[in-house]
Amino acid sequence: MKLRLCLCLAAISVVLSAAGPLRPARRPRYGGTLRVEIGAIIHSLDPTVAAVNPEEAGAKAELDALLYDRRGENGDFVGTAGSGPFRLSAWEAGKSAVFAANEDYREGRPFVDSIEIQMGRSAHDRVLDLELNKADFAQIPAELARQAADRGVRVSASRANELLALVFLTGRGATENARVREAIARCIDRAAIVNFILQKEGEPAGGLLPQWSSGTAFLFSTEADARGAKEIWAQISPSPKLVLGYDSADALEQSVAERIVVDAKEAGISLVSRAIPAPEKAIVHGGSESPAPHSEALHVDARLVRLRMPSPLPSVSLAAFIDRLGPLAGINGSPLPKSASPEDVYDSERSIINGGSVVPLVWLPQVYGLSARVRDWKQPAAGESWPLADVWLDSTTDAH
Amino acid sequence: MTFRSKLFVNFMLALLLSVGLVTAGVTVVTRHAFDEINREHTDALVSQFQKEFERRGHDVLNRVQGIADAEPTVRMAIDLSRPNADISVYVNDARGVAQSHQLNFLDFVGTDGSIISSAEWSARFGYKMEWVTQKEDWATRGSFLMKLDTQDGPALALMAVATVRVGDKDLYVVGGERLGKEFLASLVLPSNMRALLYLNLDPKFEPANLIDSTGPVNEAERFEPVIERERTQPVVQTAKIDWTFDAASAEIFHVIPQLGRQNELLGVLLIGDSQRSVVTLERHILWLAIGVAAIGILFGLMLSWWVAARVTRPVQKLAAGAREVSEGNWNTRVVVRGRDEVGQLAQSFNQMTQQLVDQRERLIQAERVAAWREVARRLAHELKNPLFPLQTTVENLQRASGQNPEQFEEVFRESTGILLSEIENLKAIVGRFSDFAKMPQPELGPVDLNTIVRNVEKLFEAQFSAVGRPPITPELHLAEGLPTIQADATLLRRAVENLILNAMDAMPAGGVLMLRTTNGDGDVHLEVSDTGTGLTPEETERIFTPYYTTKQHGTGLGLAIVQAIVADHGGRISVESETGVGTAFHVELPTRPPHHQAAPVVIEEENEEA
Repeated sequence: MKLRLCLCLAAISVVLSAAGPLRPARRPRYGGTLRVEIGAIIHSLDPTVAAVNPEEAGAKAELDALLYDRRGENGDFVGTAGSGPFRLSAWEAGKSAVFAANEDYREGRPFVDSIEIQMGRSAHDRVLDLELNKADFAQIPAELARQAADRGVRVSASRANELLALVFLTGRGATENARVREAIARCIDRAAIVNFILQKEGEPAGGLLPQWSSGTAFLFSTEADARGAKEIWAQISPSPKLVLGYDSADALEQSVAERIVVDAKEAGISLVSRAIPAPEKAIVHGGSESPAPHSEALHVDARLVRLRMPSPLPSVSLAAFIDRLGPLAGINGSPLPKSASPEDVYDSERSIINGGSVVPLVWLPQVYGLSARVRDWKQPAAGESWPLADVWLDSTTDAH
Repeated sequence: MTFRSKLFVNFMLALLLSVGLVTAGVTVVTRHAFDEINREHTDALVSQFQKEFERRGHDVLNRVQGIADAEPTVRMAIDLSRPNADISVYVNDARGVAQSHQLNFLDFVGTDGSIISSAEWSARFGYKMEWVTQKEDWATRGSFLMKLDTQDGPALALMAVATVRVGDKDLYVVGGERLGKEFLASLVLPSNMRALLYLNLDPKFEPANLIDSTGPVNEAERFEPVIERERTQPVVQTAKIDWTFDAASAEIFHVIPQLGRQNELLGVLLIGDSQRSVVTLERHILWLAIGVAAIGILFGLMLSWWVAARVTRPVQKLAAGAREVSEGNWNTRVVVRGRDEVGQLAQSFNQMTQQLVDQRERLIQAERVAAWREVARRLAHELKNPLFPLQTTVENLQRASGQNPEQFEEVFRESTGILLSEIENLKAIVGRFSDFAKMPQPELGPVDLNTIVRNVEKLFEAQFSAVGRPPITPELHLAEGLPTIQADATLLRRAVENLILNAMDAMPAGGVLMLRTTNGDGDVHLEVSDTGTGLTPEETERIFTPYYTTKQHGTGLGLAIVQAIVADHGGRISVESETGVGTAFHVELPTRPPHHQAAPVVIEEENEEA
């Protein structure tokens, strides 16, 4: 009964999320240039050219959403470039791009005349530019949201829709022992990660899906059990020395990995962290990520993985997660249909969690910084792109 | 070996000994001085390091205290003192503050010991640093060494703690500098010195824990005994490591233990002092000393030679003068300048030779008077015998003149016959004296003594076996290879004849006459011996005196002539005799007789360069 009530509340939450916030009472105006800064470096907008890393792939998908009219069934953009709300006006590979409003867009001309996009801006530079009103829109890391808000930046955070998980890689002898995986999973202090590293901008994760989506996340424990971990580890002989990998370009992953190492050390577990260079990291091809062939050579026993929900629907997200984690963690199971029932989703999620190869850590929101003149910004739902065609710029607040 | 050579050798030995002692002394003193300087130098550096270490500690303490006194830290302390304070906002503060204050380690620790923010290991937030909350007065504690856990493993750090107290809650600021290669690189050391640090982080010696300013030290295992001694008993000590067989490769390490708050050994500092420069300098000085010694010896050699020559030259002159005197040249003078002992000796020598000459003159005068007396006596004696018959005969003639003419005629014939006979005797006596007086100066020429002896012996062979007298048996022992001598053959023959005649006179009952020649050192010897009646010691002493004779009818000139001939040839004659056994005459003749100079020999001082 309790499980069903939770599932109903979760469904209502998803519907409300899709409806978006109420529009402001002021009348929109046309014109102006929206200044956007992104951290990724995009080498080409050609859909046939593969991105170098996940960051580029994600950013390229966001820009494609502005240039293309819609997505197809498989999630790829269809139509021709320029059929979307904007057309490419200027392009300097890896540095900047200018998108001009498409007067002939079938859903009507966007409010802003153009969008200037600066690439390769670091997170701290983006926050600084937002603070100095040199940028109108930029995505900022969740761990910097609190700092940015304290510095006067207008921050907009989504629901927690990105999972950071610890994945024990398949085929590693040291982590084949379930007791080893259990000891490490128990020692991790998720609350400390959320409170200190994420500066409370996130949620401890016990399951693969967030509470707002599945309604069953509370059934998965997020408590640390250092004493239990120590007892389990003491029973393992010989105790292995493990290596935890993280993306060398991801500051959050590094911080979390280091914290896990500290937690493990306190439990007596021999675990060290090691950065995985960008070429070694998983590379996204057409929206799907696969492990790099060289990761074997790094002798990494486990690694941190970010899993972003492709859809608010739990079955869809879980299926995507399983597709992503399967090759890494050696998870085998029947494909989860989109129409799977909440009970089936929970069972599948529980099965994966009990397997011990995937240890959910925290849920992260998507955090955006906005300048004061940006109006009618609404948070994109999970799987949706930035709705920049719907925003307009308030002329009463000048840009510097 | 000459006196000069002996003196020179003694000088050289003394010089070598002196130079050797001085060189050895200089080397020992120099080495001692270098060791002392080196020790003082190292002590100063060790002291300097200790001060530098203390200065670093004060610096760390000041920086940590500065952080604690800073406004943001105070605000943090005030914020954290509030109920339900959110400590997460400060989790990243330590890193920036540590960078701005150039600290390797910085932790903000809450009143319960929980780490609020950690610069070096940011992920340690929330965990306890319990030692900070132990009762200790951090304000007076100062800096201290500490072993820390870092992401890369244990590390050694110079730490300090400052406290910010708000109400009843404390905020601890724990900061420090890592003691590693960067710390060692920051130490200013002379080029021949280096600083090593052993991080005592493991239960047993680990070579990788020994570092210098560039990283792990090569051949670190060579330090294991030193480190183990420190681990057993942490005291300041000195150790020497010879890296190769070359003494210059050696390094002297001053080992200084680094203790923690509980006096536990956390690190060992080794200040190495390369001996290369010292050994090189010592070698340089040694070679310099050897060079100077060699020059000194060479100079001393020349100086010794000069001094020896200068000292021995008067002695040599004295020796030459003495040699002249020994050769019979008494009128010899030695000219030596100076009033030292040698000069006085030369003066005494000159006085002595002068006295010898004077005494010889007086002796000659006395002998001359005595000779004249003896001549007069002999003449009187010789002339007296014929004169008496002459007187008697003349008196008989005077008495016979009064007698009848027939008797007178007979007496006259007898008397004139006697007178003529005695007059002949007188003439013979006068002739012998005349011959002795007419002894000519020898005319030198090469002479074979054996030939002369052999010829004279043949001349007398008939007389040796003459009828009516006992036979005399001659024996010749002539040395073969006898060198020829410079002599007057006629005079030498006469001398040999006189010796043989003398021997024959000494053997009226017959006997053996032995003639022996031998080769001496620079002269030839002739021995003429008989088996006659022999001489008494008194006769032996006077045997060569002119006109002295033991015979009834001898003139006493034969042996005197022999002695005169031998002396004129620069030789010497001696006699040895035993009554009833026989007599032997020994003649020594130089192969080359010396020149007789009338003028006195003056041995002048030679030039100094001679």
